[in-house]
Amino acid sequence: MAEQTERAFLKQPKVFLCGKTSGKGRAPGKRGNRFYKNIGLGFKTPREAIEGTYIDKKCPFTGNVSIRGRILTGTVNCTKMTRTITVRRDYLHFVKKYQRYEKRHSNLSAHVSPCFRVKEGDKVIIGQCRPLSKTVRFNVLKVIPMGAAEGGKKAFTAM
Amino acid sequence: MTKLSSNKTVRKIRVRGGNFKFRALRLDTGNYSWGSEATTRKTRILDVVYNASNNELVRTQTLVKSAIVQVDAVPFRQWYSQHYGIDLSKKKKVVSGKKEAEEGEAVPADAEKKQSKHVLAKLTARNQNRKLDPHLEDQLASGRLLACISSRPGQCGRADGYVLEGKELEFYQKKIQRKKGKGASAAA
Repeated sequence: MAEQTERAFLKQPKVFLCGKTSGKGRAPGKRGNRFYKNIGLGFKTPREAIEGTYIDKKCPFTGNVSIRGRILTGTVNCTKMTRTITVRRDYLHFVKKYQRYEKRHSNLSAHVSPCFRVKEGDKVIIGQCRPLSKTVRFNVLKVIPMGAAEGGKKAFTAM
Repeated sequence: MTKLSSNKTVRKIRVRGGNFKFRALRLDTGNYSWGSEATTRKTRILDVVYNASNNELVRTQTLVKSAIVQVDAVPFRQWYSQHYGIDLSKKKKVVSGKKEAEEGEAVPADAEKKQSKHVLAKLTARNQNRKLDPHLEDQLASGRLLACISSRPGQCGRADGYVLEGKELEFYQKKIQRKKGKGASAAA
């Protein structure tokens, strides 16, 4: 299969692929035996996650991570890493002396599951999970593509 | 690092909280389960054959989690003959392509023993749904099964695992062949 790209066999650990009775009590049209879960907090698990064939142990829907803690939103800054993105969060910081605000931003690395298609500039909702790598502690839960919302998009919105 | 060796050595280590970890230094047996048949047998580990992380670990025959090993097939064969009444140790004759040839060597296993009608009825019932993957059949006949270690020998002191089947088996067989092929062509 196309997704066996590593030196070890990629599979979902909770799915037993060699059962003899598999495929009997299955609704027609549903091919593979796939593990997926509902991550809670009102987030819908995408159809791509349920029907897809990718294996990603860090995917919140088909892998072994749980989303707990903070839920943040930001815009996508860079998508050049494999399966992760950097998310830019803009905010205003108040300077007391001058009684004015200044723009600041911080970057976050988030893991993005293959069930999402992300481009730079999209808005993204990310949820906190356990550390997945040196800098990644978040996982993309929902993508809001740029140009999707019709009404009143300001040039700079503080998140 | 747990090596494959016949003098079994496991050290008990006291860890945080007063609990114990069992560091296996040398092992040669493990409890391996055959998933699709749902049986588990304690078998000898014969050989470390593939490691996705590091070829060095294969060369030094180190037992780690998710190493692919060759395991003695005899206990599984024995179970199979007891459960289904079919002896797998004889190789299929390639000449006659009939299905009878498969079952032909099968029957003699218990033809000498007299079995009660109850037992025979059970066997025929089980044999109705019997399916055996040809890759597995070859392995069982040759006496060596490919298995994957799924426990962590340095933590629990055991090298337990599961017999490879289906897609996983094909995947690893290809990997092993490719390595053998490279080695052979390099040496030649």
